[in-house]
Amino acid sequence: MAAAISIRNVSRRFGDNWALRPVDLEIAAGELIALVGPSGCGKTTMLRIVADLQEPTTGEVRIGADSASEARRKRLLGLVSQRPAVLPWKRAIDDVRFTQKIAGRVGFDPATVLREFGLEGHETKRARELSGGMLQRVNIASAMAHDPSVLLMDEPFAALDEMKREEIGEWFDRELATRPKTVLFVTHHIDEAVMLADRLLVFSPAPGRVLEVVSVPVPRPRDAAFRQDPRFVAIAAHVRSLLAQQVEAA
Amino acid sequence: MPTDIALPSDQTRPAPPPLLPRVGMVALRVLTPVCSVLALWYLAIWFSSLPAFVIPRPERVLDVLWVDRAFIFVNLLATLKVATIGFLWANIAGIGLAILFDLLPPTRHMLMPAAITLRNVPYIAMISVLMLAFGDSILSKTAIVALSGFFPVLVNTMAGLRAADEVQLDRMRILNASWWQTFSQVRLPYAIPSIVAAQEITGSSSIIVAIAAEWMISSTGLGYVINHAMQNYRGDQVYAVALIATGLSFVIYSLVHALGGRLDWRVAGEQRRG
Repeated sequence: MAAAISIRNVSRRFGDNWALRPVDLEIAAGELIALVGPSGCGKTTMLRIVADLQEPTTGEVRIGADSASEARRKRLLGLVSQRPAVLPWKRAIDDVRFTQKIAGRVGFDPATVLREFGLEGHETKRARELSGGMLQRVNIASAMAHDPSVLLMDEPFAALDEMKREEIGEWFDRELATRPKTVLFVTHHIDEAVMLADRLLVFSPAPGRVLEVVSVPVPRPRDAAFRQDPRFVAIAAHVRSLLAQQVEAA
Repeated sequence: MPTDIALPSDQTRPAPPPLLPRVGMVALRVLTPVCSVLALWYLAIWFSSLPAFVIPRPERVLDVLWVDRAFIFVNLLATLKVATIGFLWANIAGIGLAILFDLLPPTRHMLMPAAITLRNVPYIAMISVLMLAFGDSILSKTAIVALSGFFPVLVNTMAGLRAADEVQLDRMRILNASWWQTFSQVRLPYAIPSIVAAQEITGSSSIIVAIAAEWMISSTGLGYVINHAMQNYRGDQVYAVALIATGLSFVIYSLVHALGGRLDWRVAGEQRRG
């Protein structure tokens, strides 16, 4: 069976500078892969290449049997950016419907999903009337509204405070249990990555290359208690030491 | 027994401010500039010692407005016609070119130098050429209004179309949206505030440019009235036209501003919240 996402020898160079050294990775359907590393290490570049928003210098990305470009044209991808892409003049529910209208595909009933996303009573509010956490939930609902098979998330919770970030992270993990997606999740927050991911792709500082692929052998969704689990602590410490060594070497 | 129930609207909507203070505020906003202009006018008369045909008294100008109302009104309509048609052409050309540049970027390199050149040709020379080509016609006058107005519309619309948020554009790309969907649903709404700002400039200046064109080449319109008044040493009539033109520009600016506020999603959002 073909992998949900297949990244083969993908690299990116801007002029004489390498933003991303060649990466190879096979991602299974329903897997959540976190791309972790310091700022400027090529995580977002990797994500944008998979999203077909940027061309790789070498290599190719396959989404199932399709190229990244074909997958985008077939609307198999959903994108959640750090800054919510909710249209400021639309009400929350209309923004979710907007994705479905543009994609020409209705993944779910917007009202039901906004209710499940904890936004009951806020459906008719506009972006400026919603809190950061609520807005990011609308953003995620809009990104998933056409039922994409792959969700690409670029530091989606970075603008939230620590408590809200943990809360929305756990909520998102539970949501994925009811609506499984293959997820590529960019973050520089190690604990968040360990909490959510099946595997972590740990990047070196620029020029980015994959230092190690770290597995988190604990079934998802995981609850808050997992943060106290010795496995969580050990994996997070291992990733931290990997990155610390790189920073020291640099 | 009937019970007084607080309706939801009573609870959620703040009570409007009392009518009298609102009327008072509007009166103050209107009266303050009028009074200050009148005060400066009288001071200029008293201290300059200039003859009445150079600086007439305000009441004399109001008298001219009443006595010559038929003559002024006919020419006012002619000016409004020139300004309106020119304004519409300015918008068709400015917004149309900005959309063309967005749709086909190479056309920007082809046509923008011509637009900049047109912008920088002295209007006096242009009016003269148009007069030679088309005579005292509606075409030559509306053309000069359109030429003076299209550039601010073009530049502002282009800037507005470029102001669309990158995350929104990424969202449209990932959804494989068509050019038209991205343009109509994202780029154009983001451009509205800039387009409105351009209308505020072009709308009010179209009156001034129309009068200038009429003053140079026409036998109709407020520009012609000024010309006619100068030849007959009728400073009071010149002032009357100036008063009308200023008032008209102010009204157009206010109308465009109010209408633009309804189209501008940022202002409309604030009004809904407020």
